Amino acid sequence: MSETTLSGYFDYNATTPLSNSVKSEMLKALDIYGNASSPYSRAQESKALVDSARENMAQLMGAETSQMFFTSCGSEANNWAIKGSLARHAKNPGHIITTAIEHPSVLEPIAYMEQVHGFSVTRLVPDVEGRVREEDFLSALRPNTQFVSVMYANNETGALQPIGPILEEARRRAITSHTDAVQALGKCTLDDRILAADYVSFSAHKFYGPKGIGGLYVRRPGELAQLIHGGGQEMGLRAGTENLVGMAGLARASEDCTQLLPEWESHYRRLRHRITRKLQDSGLGIEFNGPQDPSKCVGNTINFSVPGVRGEALAALLDHKHQTQVSIGSACSNNKSSKSSHVLVAMGLGDERIQSAIRMSFGRYTTEDELDRFVNNLHACAEQLLGISTPS
Amino acid sequence: MYSPLVIEHFSNPSYVGDVPNPDHEFEVGNSVCGDRIRIQLNSESDKVDQIAFRAWGCATSIATADIFCKSVTGKSYTDIEARSEGEIRDLLGELDPPQKHCIDIMMSLHSLLLKNVLKEDA
Repeated sequence: MSETTLSGYFDYNATTPLSNSVKSEMLKALDIYGNASSPYSRAQESKALVDSARENMAQLMGAETSQMFFTSCGSEANNWAIKGSLARHAKNPGHIITTAIEHPSVLEPIAYMEQVHGFSVTRLVPDVEGRVREEDFLSALRPNTQFVSVMYANNETGALQPIGPILEEARRRAITSHTDAVQALGKCTLDDRILAADYVSFSAHKFYGPKGIGGLYVRRPGELAQLIHGGGQEMGLRAGTENLVGMAGLARASEDCTQLLPEWESHYRRLRHRITRKLQDSGLGIEFNGPQDPSKCVGNTINFSVPGVRGEALAALLDHKHQTQVSIGSACSNNKSSKSSHVLVAMGLGDERIQSAIRMSFGRYTTEDELDRFVNNLHACAEQLLGISTPS
Repeated sequence: MYSPLVIEHFSNPSYVGDVPNPDHEFEVGNSVCGDRIRIQLNSESDKVDQIAFRAWGCATSIATADIFCKSVTGKSYTDIEARSEGEIRDLLGELDPPQKHCIDIMMSLHSLLLKNVLKEDA
């Protein structure tokens, strides 16, 4: 991957570029066309590819291959875990615990189960640094709690949730549990206790794999409802001819992640330390949104507000003047309204701070020089916007 | 995505600043999304002579303020008043749905300009 191509890209939490090794495997897979479900010899290569993708994914998770299922993306994995698990309780809907800071692909299916099937839901509110409290989880438990879904790492702040104790407690009480690990896999070493979960979702394009393929760890496949009825693929739970090119990419991305994660993680931590210091010294009065303790968040994410500057305008200026891409905490919506980050709102941050928020997420290709240029460009753009807003 | 027109006026606005001893000053705001624009201007011979703006808001609202200032500079109030809603809307060119609240801002800038000037005349 060319550094020039990626220079200025700081939105790795939205998606990562394909690594060269992944791209190479995907290109090779374009010539493999046999249907993996067919019995003849021409299908063997396809079947071997599917098997290797599943094995690599299982190795990455520390799970058995029989527990790994392919999906089209992280959102599908989240929806499947929630709806596919709660389906068996639909006639006797109980209680669900989740958090107010989940990805919409968790919040929405849970809201659906609440509204359509009558489940009651507790949405845990995080502290001001964006982490839910273990004690709040314990207090929320009810005798009829049937399902728990808590994300591993938040996509906007990078805040790591107390997932180990929550999953262990759910397991101890025989409550079905799910964690959306889409923003954690490939960014931090996973807590060994993650396999206490019944379901873990992930997505290849968040760790240098392709878009269009994700996966779900299922501890006991017999308890999950079928997602797609049909030809019997994915052990009968998700029918459909396999996405061989996507699986080739996922296989390689998983293998790379297993081998290189310690290197990536220390790279992210170094970069985060550097950018934090540079932003603190920028003279812009930066306010950081998220855990102040770096060990409480993934190393590749930093969320901050630039006082007096609208984040949307700052991001647009960075993009058009410096070809630099970041994400924002608040955007204009149709007709006079604004769409603020539900995560920053749940953390209790004020409107102006949310409207000024920027999320920077970097990756394996980000360099220290790029970060230094980013801070210089940020400073210039913020000064320009402050010059527009502030009377002389 | 922003149109080239919005990018140009947002990235390199020409009318940012303050007018010394302005004849007129007014503000447009959107309480929900927080955009705020302040306009100051001087008139001469029933025309907009000097005009400048300050803005705190999204990229498109900053561009809107700059496009407004450019569009009225040197124009007579009679000509500005004669602009149709469609003509005012067209000043902003193509907008994505989330940017369309700036049409209301543009309308408000026109109506407040005329209201301020006409009030003075009365």
